[in-house]
Amino acid sequence: MNRPLIPHLIGLYPLVMMCLFFLGPLAFMVVVSFYERDPLGFYNVAFVWDNYAKFFSSFYYTLSMRSLWSASLGAVLVVLLAFPAMYIIVDMSRRWQLFWVILLLSLMCLSEVVIGFAWVILMSESAGIPRFLGWLGLWEDPRSLSPSFGAMLIGLVSLGFSLVALMFYPQMAGRDRSIEEAALTLGTPPARVFTKVILPNFRPAIISSTVTMFVYFLGVFVMPTMLGRPQDWNMTVIITDKAVGDANMPLGAALSVIMLVFTLLIIGTLLAASRKRGKA
Amino acid sequence: MKRSTKSIALAAGLVVGSFSAAWAEEITVSAWGGFFEETLRDVIYPGFTAETGIDVRSIAQPADQAWLTQLTNAARAKQAPADLSLVADEVLARGQGIGLWAKLDAAAMPGTQNLKDEYIKSDDDGVYAVGALSWYTTFVTNTTFQAEAPESWAEMWTTDWDGKLGMNSAANSGLMEATAVTFFGGYDIMETRDGLEQVIAKIAELKPQVNLWYRDEGQFQQGLEAGEFNAGLYYHDVTMLSALDGNAVQSNFPKEGGIRSDAYWVVPRDSENAVAAQKFIDYMSRPAVQAEMARNLGIFPIVPRDTTDLTDEEFSSVGSDIAPITVQSHIHLREGDWLSDKYLEMISQ
Repeated sequence: MNRPLIPHLIGLYPLVMMCLFFLGPLAFMVVVSFYERDPLGFYNVAFVWDNYAKFFSSFYYTLSMRSLWSASLGAVLVVLLAFPAMYIIVDMSRRWQLFWVILLLSLMCLSEVVIGFAWVILMSESAGIPRFLGWLGLWEDPRSLSPSFGAMLIGLVSLGFSLVALMFYPQMAGRDRSIEEAALTLGTPPARVFTKVILPNFRPAIISSTVTMFVYFLGVFVMPTMLGRPQDWNMTVIITDKAVGDANMPLGAALSVIMLVFTLLIIGTLLAASRKRGKA
Repeated sequence: MKRSTKSIALAAGLVVGSFSAAWAEEITVSAWGGFFEETLRDVIYPGFTAETGIDVRSIAQPADQAWLTQLTNAARAKQAPADLSLVADEVLARGQGIGLWAKLDAAAMPGTQNLKDEYIKSDDDGVYAVGALSWYTTFVTNTTFQAEAPESWAEMWTTDWDGKLGMNSAANSGLMEATAVTFFGGYDIMETRDGLEQVIAKIAELKPQVNLWYRDEGQFQQGLEAGEFNAGLYYHDVTMLSALDGNAVQSNFPKEGGIRSDAYWVVPRDSENAVAAQKFIDYMSRPAVQAEMARNLGIFPIVPRDTTDLTDEEFSSVGSDIAPITVQSHIHLREGDWLSDKYLEMISQ
């Protein structure tokens, strides 16, 4: 019964850190979201719902739906591409595996801006892929491919690819291959082994990486602004414009709170659904 | 030999520097980062230091509103990130609204008498800002696509630009004012929300032609020089520099006028170097310095033309005698949130 004090104190450490770096600023953001906007200055301390009302009364609603859509599409795409890629890589020789892992790790060192800029040049009319296609004679009137929704998605995929691939790596490299071998020796075609044996085994990893990417893509700023058109700008861009650009902190905070609630709801639903299915 | 002299000088400099730092007067001046800040630092400020012995520490400041946010936050902590700051008129008014700027003593700045009257901003308590420079935003074209200069802003609407127009995505870029003057006979239409919506609807007609609504200049300039845009709304000074570099671009003043914007010097309230800051403003207001800035930065001087030694050629390369279109800051301030939402809604649909 006489528990020592020290383990309790150690247990307090994460709590203090969470409060200091996450809950504290978050609480402040919630408080500011109820402040009143002062058009000439900054904000006045008050308790108003105006900032939240704005979300539902104007086009912010459409905007947030768009950002949810682009983030989820990007997340699904990047997982769809990274999963098979890693599946192939772990079957390579040790040396090649190392090569790919190092390559993926070094890709992660590149900043968002550098990747975005590289794509801008690659997709530009005067220097990139369109010009190359024009030179080959495949495109009569080559035009810049960015800014566009597709360009932004490509940007998102190149941003998240190495992250997802590396998330799959340990589990995939260390998986128990005897199950697949058993299925193969019993005469299951390889394609069926992939869909019926491998995919179900990796379902939790696939779901969690999709959710991680979804949340990550909701928060990107550079790709939509560099590669997207105004109609592709997501909530993060708009929040930055409002909070930093127009010095409208209360609206920025309110929009952030709403996006946070949306995100939590979606993640909660996804996780609950996957757990239920896992039991059945 | 050379190297060792250098290191001795450096060592001596360090020793002297550490002693003199305590008393050498220094002011921190912020200006928009990039070419602007670099040129001011390398070409203009040394003259001030040579004359007054006051060192200038030049820092780059971010875009207008972001900088205002930083200044506001700093003021809450009773700090001034810079002793002097270059701000556009909308930021000037916003900062003034919350008392961010220090009061200046006009008598200590005799040079400001050279400026046109509208560039001395004062309220009941005195002067709070002094004009620094002006710049033009014009109708920029790609000379490979179209050699002859457009005569009117209306040609933005009537010419087929092959879907290659680049426009600024901000509501206060001046495009609204140019549209109002060109199609609605002046700024009066902008006084009501109804009128503003009509102006925005007119701009919306350009949308099929616009392939980039740029958020920062770099985005547009790179494409312009690469020939990816046939026309657009862009800064006169940078376009002139780009043309001098041999790019196929041209800045045009339509008959309705180019869009002129003004920048002001302000001293943040918590600055401790107000006296030196006033000497700086005094210096920067002189016709000779204004002319120097026009030559090196391509800005438009805010002193009467005849007080400067600018040649006709130099003058026409930085501006024009056509009466300018001016950004109606009071409307953007009054309708700020509503207007920027409407504008964003228009371009993002």
